[in-house]
Amino acid sequence: MNSHRKRHLGILVAVAIGFLVAIPVRAHHGAAGLYDMSKPVMMKGTITKFEWTNPHNQIYFDVKDDKGTVAHWIVATEPPQVMLERGWTRRSLKEGDQVTVYAFVAANGSPVGNLQRIVLPDGKELSAR
Amino acid sequence: MRSRAALVSAVGLTALMIFSLVVRAQNAPPARPGGTAPQAQGGSSKVADLTGDWAPDQKRGGIGQSLSLSDIGGRRRGQEDDIPYQPWAQKKTISEKSSTGPDQGFAQTTDPQVLYCEPPGVPHIYLWPIKTKLVQTPEAVYILHELGPYFRVVWLNSKHPEDPDPQWWGHSIGWYENDNTLVVDTIGFNDKTWLDQVGHPHTEQLHLTERYRRVDKTTMELDMTIDDPGAYTKPWNARRNFTLSTTGFLRYQQICSVRENQRFFDNLAKPAIAK
Repeated sequence: MNSHRKRHLGILVAVAIGFLVAIPVRAHHGAAGLYDMSKPVMMKGTITKFEWTNPHNQIYFDVKDDKGTVAHWIVATEPPQVMLERGWTRRSLKEGDQVTVYAFVAANGSPVGNLQRIVLPDGKELSAR
Repeated sequence: MRSRAALVSAVGLTALMIFSLVVRAQNAPPARPGGTAPQAQGGSSKVADLTGDWAPDQKRGGIGQSLSLSDIGGRRRGQEDDIPYQPWAQKKTISEKSSTGPDQGFAQTTDPQVLYCEPPGVPHIYLWPIKTKLVQTPEAVYILHELGPYFRVVWLNSKHPEDPDPQWWGHSIGWYENDNTLVVDTIGFNDKTWLDQVGHPHTEQLHLTERYRRVDKTTMELDMTIDDPGAYTKPWNARRNFTLSTTGFLRYQQICSVRENQRFFDNLAKPAIAK
């Protein structure tokens, strides 16, 4: 690995680690920067994967528009240690669940965001906050 | 699952205690005369009961951003009335880039914990949304944190080494006072950590005094005195408030993994900051 690539990787890692710290504490003070926190966006979709992991849980789901085009979304929550306190478990979501997602999404239009809350197939609502 | 987690915790704690005994045998100075029983001072022989899992009290300051009692939110970094900076320390504080708080810089942070995955040290760890467990034994108090998971050993009936090696968590001794307080006296810090999330610096001269006081069954207060003649003109005070938690300790290990962080960055951060 040449020095330029090493430096590039170092920056990526540093930023990633920065996010690890930033999100848990932000939750108490309002997120800023990456996502538009002014209002959540509502989406109906199908869960494709739920990763229960540090530094943040990741929820993968597909959203189909009127023309049948599928967008692959990923939204994050706080890490497992925090979400356990909020009543979640690693089995809270499973592949194939039809859900309604409310998330603060990227301002640049990328299909990524931060979960506010999610409504499960049985109508039960799980808050991420 | 819960019983398995409990077993893991018990095994881990036992290992921790054995480890700390070994460390003590190798590094700690001889105990003061008087045996191994906890030594209370301040006119009381009663040992403060601090047993429990302690969570940041969201109704009384939460985790905050800054140790400044006049600026918990970290909005006046470097300009706080209650922090007696030396000029270089004030200049350094102002120059830092936080990863959180009102003026956070997502990609520009200079927080060493964030940049290098280093231990936050103390008192910085008390500005994290995690719980702390105190385990009291006749010989030492073990302070366990859900982050890391890191732990500290507070040696009772002991004294500091003459010339401690500067380290991340310093060298801690402790004693009990007034029936309800554990005093923890720590020196021997390195100068690599921030005192809080907004970048208040310290030097190897830092002498931290923590007073853990159980106010009632469900409330604990931590008063701290930061005495660092290398960075501040006089000692100054900070406080954290805790409530007793009954939801379980360390149900998930909040570990800093570069591999997991990289995956998160690739999946969720990189797309959001793309132009």
